[in-house]
Amino acid sequence: MPFSEAARIALAALRANKLRSFLTVLGILIGVSSVVAVVAITEGLDRYMANQVLSLGSRSFSIQRMPDIITSRAMWLEMQKRKDILLSDMDAVKGACDACGEIGARVQTTRTVKFGRTKQPDVEIMGVTENFSRIGSVRDLITGRQLIADDVDTARPVGVIGADIMDAFFGQTEPLGKTILVDSHEVRVIGVAERKGKIFGNSQDNFVWLPITTYRKFYGTRRSVTIQAEARNMDLMETAQDQTRVVMRARRHLGFAKPDDFSIETGETVMDFWQSATRGIYVVTIVVTAMSLIIGGVVVMNIMLVSVTERVREIGVRKALGARRRDILRQFLVESVLLSALGGALGILGAAVFSMALAAILGGIMSADFSAPVRLWAVTLALFVSSVVGLVAGIYPASRAASLDPVVALRNE
Amino acid sequence: MSVAPVPPSTTAQTDGALIRAEDLWRTYVMGAEEIHALRGVSFTIAPNEYVAVMGPSGSGKSTLMNLIGCLDTPSRGRYVLRGKVVSEMNDDELAAIRNREIGFVFQTFNLLPRATALHNVELPLVYAGIPKEERLAQARRALEMVDLADRMSHKPNELSGGQRQRVAVARALVMGPAILLADEPTGNLDTVTGEEIMGLFERLHAGGNTIILVTHEKDIADHAHRTIHIRDGKIESDEERRR
Repeated sequence: MPFSEAARIALAALRANKLRSFLTVLGILIGVSSVVAVVAITEGLDRYMANQVLSLGSRSFSIQRMPDIITSRAMWLEMQKRKDILLSDMDAVKGACDACGEIGARVQTTRTVKFGRTKQPDVEIMGVTENFSRIGSVRDLITGRQLIADDVDTARPVGVIGADIMDAFFGQTEPLGKTILVDSHEVRVIGVAERKGKIFGNSQDNFVWLPITTYRKFYGTRRSVTIQAEARNMDLMETAQDQTRVVMRARRHLGFAKPDDFSIETGETVMDFWQSATRGIYVVTIVVTAMSLIIGGVVVMNIMLVSVTERVREIGVRKALGARRRDILRQFLVESVLLSALGGALGILGAAVFSMALAAILGGIMSADFSAPVRLWAVTLALFVSSVVGLVAGIYPASRAASLDPVVALRNE
Repeated sequence: MSVAPVPPSTTAQTDGALIRAEDLWRTYVMGAEEIHALRGVSFTIAPNEYVAVMGPSGSGKSTLMNLIGCLDTPSRGRYVLRGKVVSEMNDDELAAIRNREIGFVFQTFNLLPRATALHNVELPLVYAGIPKEERLAQARRALEMVDLADRMSHKPNELSGGQRQRVAVARALVMGPAILLADEPTGNLDTVTGEEIMGLFERLHAGGNTIILVTHEKDIADHAHRTIHIRDGKIESDEERRR
């Protein structure tokens, strides 16, 4: 009997028991749709993260006293013993790193900024070198001018503000030349940076850039700075970091067996951390899915046994008409596989709806464009796995059907 | 009306016999007890014979029918059908014999309820591996032969009892089998419809088919030209009826 015949018989049998077939594959449906949806959403998040993090400039890296990601309290305490990074370190790196392009420094804190009676809380106050907005990637201005070397040299009380500050204080009115209060220090606005949006709900536009010298006048010089550097191109990324590391270690008199007592961070570092976290989600999902697929398989097997029992007479008739063992075996295996694959297909549909809905919700929360694409490989895998589940679950019921004695089967009422 | 003739039988050591049964025994083991449903049955049937097998229930009549229909194999003895020794065949070979040489007609019709008349008739051709176009053409021809050309796309529950049994007859004949084996073919039909089916059998026999009729009704058995009586697992009588 050709496969197409077996498929036709199977489809007719499934159509005759629509509700039962649907309930049977519910387990597989849920299993498949959860795995496909999780894959889609994690991929969407990955892509979103890559976009946002790497938009900081994939050529750029920073030399910091503390790493971006601290995973334990013990680690944090250890980090507290590290020596500050100084502006003189920046000059040393400038002198020694020929693979580097722009090199600058920044210091930052979070304060409230005022303009007249209007207050803007939790503003990132950054003291930066004049080249800061060009390191890694260029941050353009909507209006006004960037900080220049002269501002830094003379510690001028001027600042470039982010779009959130612009919205809060000035709206449609002219911001340039206005004086805002940063912790009671007067600062004249000279420029407004272009809007960048949010990462995970955190605004990227709620800041004031001051010349680093001005910042130190306000808040003192006893603070570790972060050196912000960039490689001249992507190929020199490793070299630039190595050269920087060598200088820093020499300046900090580290023996060659000692580990770094400073941290070099790139967008990559954050991405790596993110990806190791999502890998965890993947593993958990796969385990949960595997379990729901096993249960789904048992349900399919049970229903196939019922189906065989119900159709003993039909099997007898088919055998009397010349069906061989393998014909009957194939008929029930195809039915079982088709049933499960149908569950898989419905699961993919469910996953598509589910991940679109979740993408819309997440996109709303993060106020960003966010998509969770259902991948072809996930679809293929889901169909393949659910078919295999159907095949395995069908073997026992089908072989029972195939080995029925036609005389006994025909007598069955 | 045209009737499919029986294809010429393959040459064999059966000297012209279509069926040769030699000392057939069938023993069932029930726990420690052995039950002999058949105790040494021998007979031959020639091509184009019309034979009725009669006997009360429990006589071994059904067991004999299962052996003749190749649904079962004897515990002892030899059964030769068209020169092939069926008693020594395995499951798959038996299935092939049932497919090609036996046309079953059951008391309860045994049509697939969800399939149309055409698809029901097509079924033996499916298991014979015949391509779709040819299958449909042959199934249509078989249905035309039993005067159901206008009911091909009806399902069994849309047909009367007599029509259902005619679909079953078409299905039994579609492969051009050596024998048409009918088990109480009128048992579920009223007398008029029953006579109609017996008329159809008459025509098929006249067209060259070999028919074996299993029944316990004398009226039905009287349509045949030879009657074999079974009792207690043995042949009680085997008589030709001259017409």
